[in-house]
Amino acid sequence: MKAVSVKNASMHFGDFTAVQDVSFDVGEGEFITLLGPSGCGKTTLLKMISGFLQPSSGIIEIGGKDVTHVPPERRDTAMCFQSYALFPHLSVADNLQFGLKQKRLLTAERKQRLQDVATKLDLTAQLDKLPNQLSGGQQQRVALGRALTMRPSVVLFDEPLSNLDAKLRDSVRMEIRKIQRDYNLAAIYVTHDQGEALAMSDRILIMNNGRIEQAGTPHEIYGTPNTSFVADFIGDANILDAEVIGEEGAGRWRLGTQIGELIAASAAPPVAKTLKVCWRPEKAQFGPGTENTITADITHRAFQGNYTDLFVMIASAPQRVQWRDNAVGLADSLTMHIRPEDIIFLEAIA
Amino acid sequence: MTRLNLNKILLWALFGLCVIWLVIPFTIAILWSLVDPSQPWTPDHLLPPSMSFYRWGYLWAHSSLKIAMFNSYMLAPSVAIVTLTLAMPTAYALGRINFPGKEVVKLLVLLPLVVPGFVTAIFFTAILFQLGLNAWRFGAILFAHSILFLPYAIRIMSVSFETVRQDHIDAARDLGASTFERWKVAYIPALKPGIMATLLIVFIYSIEEFAIAFIVGSPNFTTIPTLLFTNLGANFIRPNAAVISLILVVPNVILMLFLERLLRSANPALSSGKG
Amino acid sequence: MTWRSWLKLGLLLAPGLGLILVFIGSVVYIAIAQSFGLFSLSGESEFSLEYWSRMFERLTYNRAIGYSLYVGFASAFLAVLFAYPLAVWLRRPFPGSLTISAVLKAPLLVHGLVAAFLYVNIISYHGLVNQIMQGLGIWDGPHRLQNDSRAIGVLILQTWKNMPFALLLLVGSVSAISDDVLDAAADLGAGPFARFRRVIAPLSVSATQAALVIVFVGALADFSFQVIAGPVNKQSLSQLMVFFKGYGRWHDAAVVAVTLMGLGIAGSALLALVSRFILRGGRLS
Repeated sequence: MKAVSVKNASMHFGDFTAVQDVSFDVGEGEFITLLGPSGCGKTTLLKMISGFLQPSSGIIEIGGKDVTHVPPERRDTAMCFQSYALFPHLSVADNLQFGLKQKRLLTAERKQRLQDVATKLDLTAQLDKLPNQLSGGQQQRVALGRALTMRPSVVLFDEPLSNLDAKLRDSVRMEIRKIQRDYNLAAIYVTHDQGEALAMSDRILIMNNGRIEQAGTPHEIYGTPNTSFVADFIGDANILDAEVIGEEGAGRWRLGTQIGELIAASAAPPVAKTLKVCWRPEKAQFGPGTENTITADITHRAFQGNYTDLFVMIASAPQRVQWRDNAVGLADSLTMHIRPEDIIFLEAIA
Repeated sequence: MTRLNLNKILLWALFGLCVIWLVIPFTIAILWSLVDPSQPWTPDHLLPPSMSFYRWGYLWAHSSLKIAMFNSYMLAPSVAIVTLTLAMPTAYALGRINFPGKEVVKLLVLLPLVVPGFVTAIFFTAILFQLGLNAWRFGAILFAHSILFLPYAIRIMSVSFETVRQDHIDAARDLGASTFERWKVAYIPALKPGIMATLLIVFIYSIEEFAIAFIVGSPNFTTIPTLLFTNLGANFIRPNAAVISLILVVPNVILMLFLERLLRSANPALSSGKG
Repeated sequence: MTWRSWLKLGLLLAPGLGLILVFIGSVVYIAIAQSFGLFSLSGESEFSLEYWSRMFERLTYNRAIGYSLYVGFASAFLAVLFAYPLAVWLRRPFPGSLTISAVLKAPLLVHGLVAAFLYVNIISYHGLVNQIMQGLGIWDGPHRLQNDSRAIGVLILQTWKNMPFALLLLVGSVSAISDDVLDAAADLGAGPFARFRRVIAPLSVSATQAALVIVFVGALADFSFQVIAGPVNKQSLSQLMVFFKGYGRWHDAAVVAVTLMGLGIAGSALLALVSRFILRGGRLS
């Protein structure tokens, strides 16, 4: 059974379309990330699942039941808010039990769940404090704990880590994932941070302009983006316009691009005769190769610690290259090659 | 039912309430002020059978209305200027100096609003009797009003002083401005809306103030509210009371609307409140 | 801070805070002193408890206390009762909400005496209410509604005049509650009423207290509404005080004034405690 199913959901605000015809499923125990730039509709989608917004059309199912018209207080979801949204007048213990009291659970059961969550999240010493007496990380854990005590069909995360500093974010990230696995919870996680999405998710849905641009595992999304939007949004990419000149054996094509003729190898054939292709800056192989050997003029270099970013000009097209070996000094130009399997076919050029 | 529909229904309910709340009472008052004495407005008529501005002219010519208006409109601007002057130093201290006990000072400033108006009025009169100053009515009311409305003036002006930007003052100093120049360039522009608002609000409150004017001014110093009170009591003639009510309320409502806009432009945090 | 900066501060505070303290301080001091027979304007000044003991025996005084407390508490309760739902409704702006709050705030701009006059017009013997009730056939003849003995007129006027003020305070505090917090409550299973009881009410305790206390203090000391629209057979404390003063009985007026201030403080404290207790769901801490 699916924990959550979204079927052809759309959301219009007047003339503006926030979400357009989106469908996806979340399996039990699956961790799904909605990733996209601000304004792409990911938060709107989350609000439709939690019940704060009614979709203009489409169906939302939770645990196999149609809940499209069920108000949030009667949906089996629990949300972790970006602002934490802790009740400022209630102690940590009362915050954690708030939902259980609404459910009118027996006191013994309530106490047991409270203890369980407090131990797991290391909050036992904070139970009598008020939220404003806690650190940011502790508040975050209370927000998470408050959702977990509900044992919901699905936990919804709305950019829960954006208010934490970078170091703390990494550890809380792992903690969230661990607890989600322990409880075998389905989770939908909204973020605009691609690193977070790649590190945490079972599956990533990339959203753009209210649509799902691509869905897949982190490896699929990074390794074989479908469109230049996805390629550019996740990681860095050198995107080129290409024309397919001809097929060179099984799964190999000769392309004409701004940086010269290239050989590309791909399991899937190109979608059109003229299309976008890309390659990742870290895939540049230094020195000449058997194919795709290129000479580049270096225009600018930026030292990044474990590598150096090179801004190069290849036949008057600006490209980026990552140079891993800092020790070696560089001349004004360098010779490199791109392996055919590192060139990725993207969408057609209209 | 969706929230949108619910709001629509509530809006109409409120429109109805508004009619009961404001439109009907004021329409009736206006109609009463226009009743011509030649034909009384009896319950069998929906509108007064004969309407004219007779009452307005009559009251202007034959009652203490002229004197009351003169008193009120002399008193109010004087009070406004005196209050503003008295409020400035304290407001400056509250707005620009950090000192221990600031919160206590802010609370103590509110004292005039806590003591009931008639208690203040009566025992201020007692003090005036003790000092032998009870004949000096205009001055006494001016003095009492000025202190009574200080809380409003201090509150508005200290917020204004807070909005003066230290970097403007520093920039002016850095560029060699004298104290006077510094005030002109950094303080006055930021204070101007607050000053206007203070003058207006104190003006309105002074025009409206009843307890002090009634107790200290009685029996022979009348202002518009005390005149209205007498016309609502012993000398109750409905059309006359209607005329005086409108004279009291209409200019103030216009000034208040003006004030609301002024406060909103001066300080969004103050816009919701009268004080 | 050095003594120089303290001196500067003292000089700055003198014309504002200084005058306030001297003026209100001497007013309150004179009232208390006169209630004990001092500062007499006519006869001997001598400390005595006689004015208090004689006043306690007066029926009018004791009835005025009861009546003023009734008007004070009932007005505070009614004003907040009407303002609360409106504040929750107007929490977030929607099309038309500005107009609504402008209409609701309008009574703030109308002078109390004018409000009393408008009200008296409508309920007068041949006024609108009587005409409508007769027109609908509910009443056979006109009823006398003005100066009703249960002070309903005074309460209507107090509520009309004070509700906007309570609304102002409550809207400020209710709209400061973030949408996320209310959404979180809903998400955790709290319906509209539970959201109000468990989140909105406890988070707007101080605004409610302020509204109750301010309306109470104002209505307790009411003079004009009582004189114009109040019951003829009852007197409010302010009315009684003005009555004594009118006859030159300063010491009696002072006893009433001190009573008024004392009741104001005691009643405010009571209201603040009770409202906190109720809104916090039966807990004081």
